[in-house]
Amino acid sequence: MVRAEEAARLDRLESQVENGGGGAWEYLCLVRKLKARRSDKVLKHGLSILNDPKARSKLGGEEWTLYEQVAFAAMDCQQHDVAKDCIAILSKEFPGSTRVGRLEGLLLEAKGAWAEAEKAYERLLEDNPLDQLIHKRKVAIAKAQGDLSAAVNLLNKYLEIFMADHDAWRELAEIYMSLQMYKQAAFCYEELILSQPTVPPYHLAYAEVLYTIGGLENLQTAKKYYASTITLTGGKNTRALYGVCLCSIAINQLTKGRNKEEKEGSNLQSLAAEALQRDYRERAPKKLPLVISMLKNMKLNS
Amino acid sequence: MAEDLVLDTAIRDWVLVPLSVVMVLIGVLRYFVSKLMRSHQAPDLKVVKEGQVILRARNLRAAAGFIPAKSFRARKIYYTNEENGLLHVPKGQAQNAQAQMFSDPNLAMDMMKKNLSMIIPQTLTFAWVNFFFSGFVAAKIPFPLTHRFRGMLQNGIDLSTVDVSYVSSRSWYFLNLFGLRGLFSLILGEENAMDDTQRMMQMSGFGFDPTKSLGAEKDSIDIIQHEWALPKLEKRAEDVLKKLVK
Repeated sequence: MVRAEEAARLDRLESQVENGGGGAWEYLCLVRKLKARRSDKVLKHGLSILNDPKARSKLGGEEWTLYEQVAFAAMDCQQHDVAKDCIAILSKEFPGSTRVGRLEGLLLEAKGAWAEAEKAYERLLEDNPLDQLIHKRKVAIAKAQGDLSAAVNLLNKYLEIFMADHDAWRELAEIYMSLQMYKQAAFCYEELILSQPTVPPYHLAYAEVLYTIGGLENLQTAKKYYASTITLTGGKNTRALYGVCLCSIAINQLTKGRNKEEKEGSNLQSLAAEALQRDYRERAPKKLPLVISMLKNMKLNS
Repeated sequence: MAEDLVLDTAIRDWVLVPLSVVMVLIGVLRYFVSKLMRSHQAPDLKVVKEGQVILRARNLRAAAGFIPAKSFRARKIYYTNEENGLLHVPKGQAQNAQAQMFSDPNLAMDMMKKNLSMIIPQTLTFAWVNFFFSGFVAAKIPFPLTHRFRGMLQNGIDLSTVDVSYVSSRSWYFLNLFGLRGLFSLILGEENAMDDTQRMMQMSGFGFDPTKSLGAEKDSIDIIQHEWALPKLEKRAEDVLKKLVK
């Protein structure tokens, strides 16, 4: 997750470089550090530095990192010959290196030669069985071929070893969601919440999964997690506000017969409804009537 | 005799400061030499896995309040189950670190190299200090000490009537040895091979590290009570919204 100030700095540098001012190298370094995906810009400016022998020699040892970065960007922009040239230069400099081998595998992947890419990765894995990036590339191959169940198997095997890698958990959760395996997705989101409890998107996603699975207990839990998302985002997350309202209605429908607890849940719901209306009034006033009528319907039905 | 001895400032200039400077330089030299000599240890699958398990277990402990009670209980059993829990280490595997060290020559070589890189500079510096800087009073410790310390701190001084607070340069050497650790972590960054004191402690009790930490994590998880933090967050959400709507 990129922080706001760094994102702003990145945009500023980008516009500066685009308009002919200097600072291309600084921009490339920042992109690398933040792992942002701006492949076309990186390709353009990186190539301009690499093709200029004076600028290239100024970089010194960083030149090879730049080659790697440009090769990635070229593959992302489907410019395979550029990527092949960069990789050829790198492999001449560092023969037999795992990092260059990974790039070659990536090039095969980019061209769509899945079987050859897999063979290349297997070879690399024999020498380095604990290389995390290669394992992840195998999962990416399976996903790109559309074989989601194979991707799930590979990810599970990966997570058996590297169980503290929260990016992998996130990927697994998304795949489970697309496969509609909601209970497993809920488990993954719980892992994510455990490792980073103050990150709102995970609470939100967990609440959504619980709401989708349904059932009274899950709905109540989902409402709590929507509420925690509201707390963590200071009430600005519209989806969470909607979530609270919808959960309350669903719960009321399920407990229509049994009037045992008139909880203060209705307090939260009415507050969320008001906040929603305010939000729409400020940001999309044309849609405000729709929201008001929808909320009125919900209150009538509950 | 409690008279105050006046120590020449030349002692400070030519003994205390050079000794500290020399020790810092030797420390930096050792750091770079150890970096050069460090053999590339291929990470062991088992070690990596255990490290990750510990991380995950620690996350569970830290954020237990954020997941529902049922999930927490399920995970607790998963980790601490007697038969195949993640953190459960059968007793047989535990005490075999020594055997492992002797059977695997690489491990033994690494240990020896690390120990040597620590022992030799220490010995050399100590001998140098003794040769050049003995036989005079180097410094005065600001607090009074009993007579038992005399043998340790006043080694070169053969007068038994001098106050024990006046020490020889050998004690200044020891002071530096333990005290420069903080300075090294500042100038050499976090991962420096200079933690002699830590290494000395580790050497004395070379247990099987992962087993101990796994067992420790298991015990901590056993103890934990699940306290669900979500209702509190729900209350706070109400307040947040109230403020927003006002």
